[in-house]
Amino acid sequence: MMKKPENRNEAAASELKSGVSRRSFLKLAGVGTGATIGAMSAFKLRSLALAENPKSAAMGEWLPTTCQGCTSWCSKQAYVVNGRAIKVRGNPNSKVNGVASCVRAHLGVPQMYDPDRVKTPMKRTNPNKGRNEDPQFVPISWDEALETIADKIMELRDNGETHKYMLMRGRYTYMRDIIYDRMTKIIGSPNNISHSAICAEAEKFGPYYTEGEWTYRQYDVVNANYVLMWGADPLSANRQVSYYNSVWGDVLENAKTAVVDPRLSASAAKSDEWLPIKPGQDGALAVAMAHVILTEGLWYKPFVGDFVDGVNQFAPGKTVREEDFEEIHTSGLVKWWNLELKDKTPEWAAELTGLPVEQIRRVAIDYGKAAPHAICWVGGGPAMQPRGAYGSMATHALNGLVGSVDNVGGTLKANKVYTQSFPGYEDYLDEIAKEGKSHKKIDQRGTKAFPSLKKGKSGKGVVTNNAADGIINEDPNEIKVAIGYMNNFAFSAPQTERWYRALSKIPFVVHLTTNASEFTWFADIVLPATHHMFEKYGYVKSFANGYRQVTLLTPVVDRIWDTYTDETEIPWMLAEKLAERGFDNLLRHYQSYKDPETGQAPANAQEFALYALKHATHKLWDPAVHEGGDKFNGWEEFLATGVWNSDPYPFKKRWGAMKTETGLFEFYSETLKHALEGHAEKHETTVDDILKTCNYQARGEMAFIPHYEEPALAGDEGEYPLVLVDYKSKLNREGRSANTSWYQELRDVDPGCEAWEDVAQFNPIDGKKFGIQSGDKIKLVSVTGKLECTAKLWEGVRPGTVAKAYGQGHWAYGRIAAEKFGKKPRGGNNNDIIPADYDRLSGSSAFYANARVRVEKI
Amino acid sequence: MSKYAMVIDLKRCTGCGGCIVACKNENNLSDGIVWSSKITETVGTFPDVRFAYYPTLCNHCENAPCVSGCPTRALYKGEGGLTLHDPGKCIGCRYCMGRCPYGVISFNWENPHPAWRARTETIAQGTTSPAQVAEQVGGEVIPYYNPESAEGYAGIRPRGVVEKCHFCAHRVENEQLPYCVEACPADARIFGDLDDPNSEVSKLVKKFKSFRLREELGTEPKVFYIREFNQGKNSSTKGEV
Repeated sequence: MMKKPENRNEAAASELKSGVSRRSFLKLAGVGTGATIGAMSAFKLRSLALAENPKSAAMGEWLPTTCQGCTSWCSKQAYVVNGRAIKVRGNPNSKVNGVASCVRAHLGVPQMYDPDRVKTPMKRTNPNKGRNEDPQFVPISWDEALETIADKIMELRDNGETHKYMLMRGRYTYMRDIIYDRMTKIIGSPNNISHSAICAEAEKFGPYYTEGEWTYRQYDVVNANYVLMWGADPLSANRQVSYYNSVWGDVLENAKTAVVDPRLSASAAKSDEWLPIKPGQDGALAVAMAHVILTEGLWYKPFVGDFVDGVNQFAPGKTVREEDFEEIHTSGLVKWWNLELKDKTPEWAAELTGLPVEQIRRVAIDYGKAAPHAICWVGGGPAMQPRGAYGSMATHALNGLVGSVDNVGGTLKANKVYTQSFPGYEDYLDEIAKEGKSHKKIDQRGTKAFPSLKKGKSGKGVVTNNAADGIINEDPNEIKVAIGYMNNFAFSAPQTERWYRALSKIPFVVHLTTNASEFTWFADIVLPATHHMFEKYGYVKSFANGYRQVTLLTPVVDRIWDTYTDETEIPWMLAEKLAERGFDNLLRHYQSYKDPETGQAPANAQEFALYALKHATHKLWDPAVHEGGDKFNGWEEFLATGVWNSDPYPFKKRWGAMKTETGLFEFYSETLKHALEGHAEKHETTVDDILKTCNYQARGEMAFIPHYEEPALAGDEGEYPLVLVDYKSKLNREGRSANTSWYQELRDVDPGCEAWEDVAQFNPIDGKKFGIQSGDKIKLVSVTGKLECTAKLWEGVRPGTVAKAYGQGHWAYGRIAAEKFGKKPRGGNNNDIIPADYDRLSGSSAFYANARVRVEKI
Repeated sequence: MSKYAMVIDLKRCTGCGGCIVACKNENNLSDGIVWSSKITETVGTFPDVRFAYYPTLCNHCENAPCVSGCPTRALYKGEGGLTLHDPGKCIGCRYCMGRCPYGVISFNWENPHPAWRARTETIAQGTTSPAQVAEQVGGEVIPYYNPESAEGYAGIRPRGVVEKCHFCAHRVENEQLPYCVEACPADARIFGDLDDPNSEVSKLVKKFKSFRLREELGTEPKVFYIREFNQGKNSSTKGEV
């Protein structure tokens, strides 16, 4: 049923093969090497040499690994020639992404060979910390670096203040628990803070509180008849970009596609409908669509059910009796209608969204008619806003109306995998650790104003960006020792200046990183990390095309510099230093990660990294304990293949068996009611008070249904007349690729952008209004900050908004990313002007529909 | 005798730019030089706006103006109809660049990859210099230098000569597709022999109304475009009076 990604050009390749065995139309050879450049006389010699030594077809081999340039986490192969990884492609063994590679994957190569990678441990020699304080790093040995860190941790342990230790995680592999979970707990701190809430947690809120799955989705696009993308741009980002690029031609054959986005994105440029909505009004469009689908009788009856007498009673403005409708796999449809939908006409939404009534009706009807093979693809757009929890619910609920949830041509969760967690740690917690661990977390999750209701529990989700305020205000306590890895919160989290202050305040900061980033600038010790795609072991899980894969990161080449791996080797080395200081619990825990093949305990960092990986993936490669999916004859075969594929997706298996309070798809969310009441009870107050405290408009029963909430924009419209539309460049490797020249040179592959420029895109109407022309150097100013970039007038932007891609504005990271390293950024960082605001129910940072800006010519 | 051609299916093309960077990767192109490129256009006014993307590369014209105009025969038509370049004969007069109607020939004004020749360190002793990277790992000037593309053409073209796409002749010769074709994630580029009526390219140019860039010039390009970048669906209507 699912289309396996295949290379359509295989036919062409075989044509070549069926012809004359070896073509030789290259009569003349050229100069080959840098050494001979300019030496014209070398041509003939080389030509002669080639003629005498027939060449081999391939000089290298393709070795398996994984790309973490974005969260697609594609299984890859690297082409290795003489110990150098020079090219990448999709791993043909993957059923998720196949051979396809998005554009950003290639940028992993120059990223690996970036001359600005940190090549040795370093320490800070300037005691002053700040944005304008050059750290004056000097190289030190690994021993000195690790001993200094171990001493600082021992100091906390000796003083009974291990809760003042903090671990910050950015991008990760599933080896993460070694450093993130186990190390933090065994040292004795509650403060392992992940980046998740600056990723897209709010996107998971809608699916969880309707169908009980706190997860990103995969979309069965090749079997869909309608694909409606909400603030999602699958051809550029969000997610499994390689896979979706590979099948998009087929999608366009079978389905109507529509994109809801104030900006003409790459996906919008190829769609049938572009709905250039006013920022933050996604919820209005979603409930108006639901209104039309119901009044037109287009809901999917085998999933949702029908009126008892079969006559559609959904009419504008009219309430319906609950007993007149019999639901099947859903719950609360009539409540939703009566509470929210009955008055939410397209005419009502047109005003708010800035979209024509006809377009709203047309898209709703076309979408409804495509049921059940009609996808609402909920991206970060409608979710990662203040109050975005309800945008996430409202947009995702449409999937419930048309029965595309868990259905062919619909929205799916991840397939089952059989990876296993690392050995238990409880036995290694001593009294100091237990006491330390019992303290409250630095991000204030679970407090009254930060419900962060991940998976239904108050305070279960992280509030990443609020950790800066926790540190600055010493609330709940001060932080004395902090380690960050593969993260750059001083660049990637909104209102960056707070992180400058927070990191400056922490007396001892360690950064595990490939490049000296903005975060590194505030570090006391810098530990150089291996490159994820080419130099280390690890694994990740990702899904698309009806499959889930477990794909290995492998060291396909030798390390270039004196680097170690952040999640495995460095914790081991640190554990050794702690053991030398009389605290061996962490090392003893790590020694329990035995090689499943030999039963041997690891004796060094490298063995530890490998055994931990073999342990976690044991059931995938050992036929004796195989539970499902691809089968291998052992570790070596799995390692050589690089990827394990799950069994195919079991469609409709969750119909009637969802992990919600009712077991049904909830239009009236008993699950959210339970969670909100739990949080209110914890703080001895009412749900309404919680909603008020958290800046939501809903009161009473409205809190439990998908509904429209007005956007909450920071800044006065008079002073800040434009709304910022932040988006992600298709070249972004999550903010880590700007130091490659390919990134800068190709920036014009993002629609309406310019090579070697960081442009803010204005509609020409606004250009005229504000006296701005393409090429002008400008300043964007918000209530919390400012940035400098270049103006570009472009019709693909909604008037009244200014669109700008995230990714540029580095003032550190390297010689290309920054115009002047440590001093002047290249372009501007959107997070300098995005205020630190939240969708508090999910804990997510708001990136969209929350910043008003004004433009000034420089 | 083969007649190699490429079909670009604009409907399948997602405008990702993968071909551009893959080509730079395969052929060791210096910063600022592209053999595989694109033309983009934004037409209309908000909200009725259309954006289109057309990948471009050397058209390997049958009547190639660059070949007929080259005073030293550095540009020549090779086997399979490929338009090839011999840097050894090239005197860098750039006459070909003026004659090429498609702007797909580049000139090396400076020593290629100048950024990779630098010896400066961003953090003294903490990071390295670009030149040191290649010295550490091997490669030629660039650490991810691809030696395979040096088979038949200069791996890196020297200062003072032009350079251009050769349909990855070094790969085709070894029965591999041009790298932009292999790397295209959307399978929008289809390669093959026009002289073979059963090849995919022959079938596609027969099945669809194709167009080539600036056909009126009579250059007979071998790069054919089919379908549209944004081929939106349409509903039936008779309009109104």
